[in-house]
Amino acid sequence: MALRSRRGTSPLPTAHHGTDLLGRCIVFAWALVVGALLFAGGRAEAQKLPEGNSCIDCHRGIGDPRVTPPAEKFPQDIHLAKGILCQDCHGGDPRNFDPKGSMNPAKGFIGKPKHQAIPQLCGKCHSNAAYMKKFNPTIRVDQVQEYLTSVHGRKLREGDQKVATCISCHDVHNIRAIKDQQAWTYPVKVVETCGRCHGDAKYMEGYKIATDVVDKYKKSVHYEALTKKGDLSAPTCNVCHGNHGATPPGVDSVANVCGTCHSLTADFFNQSPHKKAFAAMGLAPCVTCHSNHDVTKPSDTLVGTDQQAVCVNCHDPASAGYQKAAAIRTSLDELRGAVQRAAGILDRAEHAGMEVSQAKFELRGATDALLKTRATVHRFDPVAIRNLSDEGVQVANKMYDKGVKAMDDLRFRHRGLWISVGIILVAIAGLVLKIREIDRRRG
Amino acid sequence: METLANSRRGFVNFLMGTGFGTMAVWMLYPVLRYLIPPKSGEPTIASVAVPWKPAEVKTNSGKIFKFGSQPGMLVKTPAGELRAFAATCTHLNCTVQYREEKQDIWCACHNGVYDLNGKNVSGPPPRPLETYKVNVKGDQIVVSKGA
Repeated sequence: MALRSRRGTSPLPTAHHGTDLLGRCIVFAWALVVGALLFAGGRAEAQKLPEGNSCIDCHRGIGDPRVTPPAEKFPQDIHLAKGILCQDCHGGDPRNFDPKGSMNPAKGFIGKPKHQAIPQLCGKCHSNAAYMKKFNPTIRVDQVQEYLTSVHGRKLREGDQKVATCISCHDVHNIRAIKDQQAWTYPVKVVETCGRCHGDAKYMEGYKIATDVVDKYKKSVHYEALTKKGDLSAPTCNVCHGNHGATPPGVDSVANVCGTCHSLTADFFNQSPHKKAFAAMGLAPCVTCHSNHDVTKPSDTLVGTDQQAVCVNCHDPASAGYQKAAAIRTSLDELRGAVQRAAGILDRAEHAGMEVSQAKFELRGATDALLKTRATVHRFDPVAIRNLSDEGVQVANKMYDKGVKAMDDLRFRHRGLWISVGIILVAIAGLVLKIREIDRRRG
Repeated sequence: METLANSRRGFVNFLMGTGFGTMAVWMLYPVLRYLIPPKSGEPTIASVAVPWKPAEVKTNSGKIFKFGSQPGMLVKTPAGELRAFAATCTHLNCTVQYREEKQDIWCACHNGVYDLNGKNVSGPPPRPLETYKVNVKGDQIVVSKGA
């Protein structure tokens, strides 16, 4: 009785209360963890603005949308994270809350920098190797120098007020590290950054350059690799044009630009008779056949003498080049056909459960040969291409024979299986009849 | 008496019929499974013993071996360490090869170059080679996925 009464009044939790308390503890712990994560995430994303800074306090508190954006955007800025504040770019005295004192030109206040002055303003720190090393010992400090060699920089010096400066590509008061996925300079965002001007026909009026480049680039194999395959090394605007020194590659430098990645094809092209011919005709290598911004995945139809082939743009049917193009295409078609035929039968055999892994492994020799042949097309040497494709065709045909053998073997096994099953079924039927006969005789 | 015999015979017939029926299903099921091809082509291979003994692999060399129906590469670095990679170039799937003179892994199709950690260092390959785990068990070298 005493025990019961003690239980009834005990402040200690019962089993039910225990579960309830445990549940509450878990919920509380989760709330703490989630809260901490949110807090930490928030801190990582946005820095806390300093207290007692007249620039920030006024710009934030004034409530005028013309002046609040700098203070509103600044928490995301990498400069704040590194301790670089308003006065470091704009001058003035942030400790003084009297506008006459805080924004006093005598205290270096420059207000909103003029468009033309921005590169030099950023360069005050970013071109100072000793200063920048404090933040990152390997950081580049030649950006402004390079910018001045770009079309943007040259036009800025000529007094163009619309041309891009540092803040056009890096944003302003919301400047992020280049590895930040939100940065305007993050590889997948570069096309939008450049496209803000270069895709705007109205803004670009007067510059006499195409404004369909962004739309074209978005159809390219490079854009697909960058955005769909997640290959951040795939080229976007700045990879071919340069970033701070952005300039369109000249006719004589296109092959070098494409060749930074496609080095073998560039080497082949440089060894080919087209090198001299293109130079004589003023044609840019690579882009004359593959286009520039809308480079699509090349197919074998690009070479040859039919309507889709680019060779016929220059070579007429009576020319030796035309015959060479036809021969090259024949070699490609033969090899591709042989590889497809062999791969098809091996796939069917594998799908049907036959062991053809060795043949599939060896067929790689032919697919490699096909890829090498396609690259070698850039030498425009039909004999070299024929030699390579013949090697591949030989391997592919051998593997096709193995596929045929595997399928024959499969058919033989199927026949054997059906015959065995038939014999077993006949035996079963005979057995059933025999049992019935015995039953009848007995019954 | 006859009723009893009939019911006993019926029971035996039932047992036999059920038995034969089950046996027929038991026999036909694997036959049908055999005749209907599997949905997935090739089973995934998790590990393979390469056809060379550790002593047969010379320093500063790379050898291609069969990993399922795909090529793998066993590399013995100039420092004598054994490493293995998928020997398929990450650009367009050509088979890569070891270059002794340059001590790197090279794809002849488009001049893609990888270092001896499998990292793509130049040319068009977009990402490193898949790395495999190498275990030496006595005289046997076993390469497995999931390094």
